[in-house]
Amino acid sequence: MKMTTSLNRSLWVFHFNSGSCNGCDIEIVATLTPRYDPERFGVKLVGSPRHADVLLVTGPVTNQMADRLRLVYAQMPGPKLVMVVGTCGQSGGVFSTSYNLAGPIDQIIPVDVYVPGCAPRPEAIIQGVVTAIAKLERLQGDGEA
Amino acid sequence: MIGTLTTGFGVWNPLVWLCVIAVALLFSWIIWRCGESDYDEDTEQTASYLSGNAEPAKGAVHVRAGNMYWGFTAALKSYYDKLIPLHSGIVNDYVSWFLIGVVVLFVAVILL
Repeated sequence: MKMTTSLNRSLWVFHFNSGSCNGCDIEIVATLTPRYDPERFGVKLVGSPRHADVLLVTGPVTNQMADRLRLVYAQMPGPKLVMVVGTCGQSGGVFSTSYNLAGPIDQIIPVDVYVPGCAPRPEAIIQGVVTAIAKLERLQGDGEA
Repeated sequence: MIGTLTTGFGVWNPLVWLCVIAVALLFSWIIWRCGESDYDEDTEQTASYLSGNAEPAKGAVHVRAGNMYWGFTAALKSYYDKLIPLHSGIVNDYVSWFLIGVVVLFVAVILL
């Protein structure tokens, strides 16, 4: 990964809670604090999927949120990545046998990066973002959308 | 025609205005060029973002003028509840109410 290339297009992230207990969301907020400060690399949360490169999803995807997750994903311009934060998004976690579950996330939309944990530490989330940057650059190099 | 018009209050020259418009258009084009170019036309990517909810029909999100004074009608709800059923839209009803009112007025005048 060339640093110069990554700085050409800093990752803008849209956060989507698909039914999380908020544990992962709190860790995402902790990641944005001055202790880690990913914004110094241009990585920041944006308020609309139309501005985002990465869709950061937490939670196991409840039935109510499945269609909304599909729509938000469809509204992102390409090339785009999906990053799952937390165990619930990967397998359903403690909610896996719930009657109200449409997920996990990769059954709703394609997932590129998994960050396991309940909840994952900010270091793990940053590692996931770095992985996402590498994949996004690969997609851009291949001309994929 | 394209000369400078000087009045006691200022100066007018259409060429200056054309230059201003050209510069503004140039800046607009530069800003537009800096925008996201990866959107696919006629897909959800160009639709309004409403927190993942589908965009309702324009008629479904129409805000009526009555919304401006909903507090007024809410405060006078007991009054409107009685008044609105009287608005039947039938002229005979309105004439009847008028006649009843006139009769009541006459009776009141005669008795007083």
